[in-house]
Amino acid sequence: MNEEQTWILQAKNGNDEAFTYIVETYQTPVYNLCYRMLGHAESAEDAAQETFLRAYQHLHRYDIKRSFATWLLSIAAHYCIDRLRKRKLPVFSVDEDEETTFQIPDAQALHPEGEAVRGEHREQVHDLVQTLDTTDRAAIVMRYWYEFSEKEIAEALNLTVSAVKSRLHRARKQLGKTWQESSTPAHVERSPYESPAF
Amino acid sequence: MNHRPFEDWLLDDQLLNPAQKRELDTHLRTCNACSAIAESNLALRSARVVGPAPGFAARFQERLVVARRAQRRRTLLGTLFFSLGGLLLMALFTGPILISVVGSPAEWISTMVRSLLFIYTTTMAVAEAGSVIFRVLPGFMPPFVWLVLISTLSGLGLLWSVSIWRLMRRPQGVQA
Repeated sequence: MNEEQTWILQAKNGNDEAFTYIVETYQTPVYNLCYRMLGHAESAEDAAQETFLRAYQHLHRYDIKRSFATWLLSIAAHYCIDRLRKRKLPVFSVDEDEETTFQIPDAQALHPEGEAVRGEHREQVHDLVQTLDTTDRAAIVMRYWYEFSEKEIAEALNLTVSAVKSRLHRARKQLGKTWQESSTPAHVERSPYESPAF
Repeated sequence: MNHRPFEDWLLDDQLLNPAQKRELDTHLRTCNACSAIAESNLALRSARVVGPAPGFAARFQERLVVARRAQRRRTLLGTLFFSLGGLLLMALFTGPILISVVGSPAEWISTMVRSLLFIYTTTMAVAEAGSVIFRVLPGFMPPFVWLVLISTLSGLGLLWSVSIWRLMRRPQGVQA
């Protein structure tokens, strides 16, 4: 049994300190998924908090033999999908989110123009993901930010592996189309094929 | 080579050998659609991970305290509601009986005795009829009917067990 499983078992037995450790460990991956799914910092914070609350309330259902990250991100993804379905129409924020606000070039930066371009590309990637169908979006986020395998995505989203393959194929096609329409060159924020979000 | 295999390589995120990579690079120089897919792929792979504002765990603790308080309030209200409801229902159902018992106890006791006697005699009669049927019936039924009957009952039993198992099974993680 590894250290993480020990913490999980302690949290299952009602140890709040152990659960706080879990929150601290997974806050970034969970928040990032919610943020990529919902598109706003405020909604992402609320969804991430709700994810941990649900995980806390249903921790007794977690099977210690399976991946905790997959289980936790599955809760987050389903919560975000439900929330987006309730919202029906996509909302793009321009004022409540540090990610989507206009990036003022830093005069002290080595290349102020480069900083502005980076901000623009961050926003472009962010908006690109927002154009996808909710479940396709969850599959893409899990694939690209967490490097989940198709099997893991299938487990997390309650889909078959072939359905995941088909969704990823369709989503990539749509992303390419949207990218072509926006016709701005790609920019590297994180080195491609580097370590995942964990 | 035509456009299709290159697009499929990109859309299915296939692992390519060095020769295929060279072919793809050549194709990407001339095909805007494939080039856009490759660029969007690269942009997603390189997109950064966003973290929450500092103090996330502390905010979660506060939320947990509020949630626990709300849960306790719901439990208390639920217990009160069901206890009072149960008491009210009991009073509604037992009220007329209690009144009649208190009003005329002899009549109530004789009615009770008559009802118990009726239930007893009916049960005995049904049990007697049942035992006669079970003694006589096997002689009339050929072996294959028994076979069909037992198979059907086994099948129904299996179906029942599977249904119970499926109802009891909990899907992992997503039921919140």
